[in-house]
Amino acid sequence: MRTDGLATAGGYVAGFALLFLVWHLAATVLVSSVLFPPPLPVLERAVVLIEDNILQEQIVASMRRILQGFLIGSAIGIPIGLAIGSFKLIRWLLEPWTEFFRFIPAVAMITVAVIWFGIGEESKIFLIAYTTVFVVVISTAAGVGAVGRDKIRAAQCLGASRLQVFALVALPATVPYILTGMRLAMSNAFVTIVAAELIASNDGLGKLLWDARLFMQVEDIFVALLALGLLGFATDRIFRFLIRAFAGRFNATV
Amino acid sequence: MAFVSLEGVGKTYRGRTGAWEAVRDFSLDLAEGEFFCLLGTSGCGKTTVLNMVAGFEQPTAGRILLDGRPVDRPGADRGVVFQGHDSLYDWLTALDNIGFGLRLRGLGRSERRAKAEHYLTMVGLTGQGAKHPTELSGGMKQRIQIARALANDPRMLLMDEPFGALDAMTRAVLQGELSRIWAETRKTVLFITHDIEEAVALATRVGVMKRGPGGTLKAVIPVDLPFPRERTSDAFMAVFREVHALIHDEIHGAH
Ligand SMILES: Nc1ncnc2c1ncn2[C@@H]1O[C@H](COP(=O)(O)OP(=O)(O)OP(=O)(O)O)[C@@H](O)[C@H]1O
Ligand SMILES: [Mg+2]
Repeated sequence: MRTDGLATAGGYVAGFALLFLVWHLAATVLVSSVLFPPPLPVLERAVVLIEDNILQEQIVASMRRILQGFLIGSAIGIPIGLAIGSFKLIRWLLEPWTEFFRFIPAVAMITVAVIWFGIGEESKIFLIAYTTVFVVVISTAAGVGAVGRDKIRAAQCLGASRLQVFALVALPATVPYILTGMRLAMSNAFVTIVAAELIASNDGLGKLLWDARLFMQVEDIFVALLALGLLGFATDRIFRFLIRAFAGRFNATV
Repeated sequence: MAFVSLEGVGKTYRGRTGAWEAVRDFSLDLAEGEFFCLLGTSGCGKTTVLNMVAGFEQPTAGRILLDGRPVDRPGADRGVVFQGHDSLYDWLTALDNIGFGLRLRGLGRSERRAKAEHYLTMVGLTGQGAKHPTELSGGMKQRIQIARALANDPRMLLMDEPFGALDAMTRAVLQGELSRIWAETRKTVLFITHDIEEAVALATRVGVMKRGPGGTLKAVIPVDLPFPRERTSDAFMAVFREVHALIHDEIHGAH
């Protein structure tokens, strides 16, 4: 397992090195324009932005919104998903809701959110929660439905009550599905936060992008893009790790 | 009074492909402490019978009584070892899988562990309790299933081809272990198989099923041989031949 981890880390380093190389070649050989800077000046600019404490502030602003909205969305979505997966009546009642709202993307809700909550924190947190909740509901409900029949029957003939079947079998068996849903929701959250900050915000990575465009600071744009990619990559790794841990390959205890 | 009695039990599945009568007019009395092997070709309705005794499914005709009371749901008095091993809990260790029934009954952690260790040893897996099901071989998973059922101390064991997917050697070892455990605990066992030798080696009685649709019990043969059984003995071979003839007729359609 340790050598596995090292190999993975080595692969990632090599992968990113290749990405920067391709970027460099594309920017110098293929395009060669001030509108597409190669990695080096972008990294230099990033260092300046970090030294001025600007980049950190934007990252913290965006990530805090993502985290808050994401946690609220998950906290609402998981129990609803569990209920939809467990009870037919609730499924019939709520499926129209989930199937209706999941086709209205959070980006389309930005205007409504700004009208309702203003351009402060609330509107962004609302949008992230909104984009999270439906994805989490759907994958949680699917997870409950996918619990193996024999797993439930085994518990029943060991004397489990309905509540025990739910808490000790259905719930832990659904955890990987819940995490997968949250993982998908997290990537949606990145899309949503940038869009929301582009349109209405005083700080955040989206705002950094917008300002850079206004003042034609091309390097700043690329710093923001780089930060988004790396943050997304890191969060996704965390989810991947959690999913594998709960799938029972590592010594997971639920 | 019989411990378990199936009285004219029938089961017709109704689905998208229409109605399918899997089991028809199945009658059998099981005495407490006997080891009954149900033999039959694939698809003749063995699992269906077991599922009804377990209480997972309800008969569509006749009734099943346990101690004179109708079976209407699964219960801790009937432990089930499932065909295949999707029934183990991947997120728990082997030991915690075995102790699952004890946990349901609110037994304390240390007591649970001690009991689970006992059954882990009984199925020959001492020292492997910390592994998760994904880290166990097929034969090991079957043993965990058996240990899990035994640890819950049911009155009856329902086993659905527990050794069906194993190689001949592992199967012989596990058959020996099961026979010894049964001799120790004297639990009533309903054991499904399509291996004639396995049935004759383990059972006090062997039931042969007729092919479906409308699978039913064709004949019941008592096996009055001492344990452990000598598979090469003449007496063993005689019973084997008798059962074999019944199955052979079944496959080739003689009456
Ligand atoms: N849930 C179900 N719905 C419809 N038909 C079913 C269902 N379960 C079983 N059957 C049908 O009932 C018949 C008996 O199935 P059963 O699983 O009891 O066979 P079996 O004797 O256990 O076979 P095997 O040895 O292959 O496990 C089969 O024809 C099968 O197609
Ligand atoms: Mg079967």
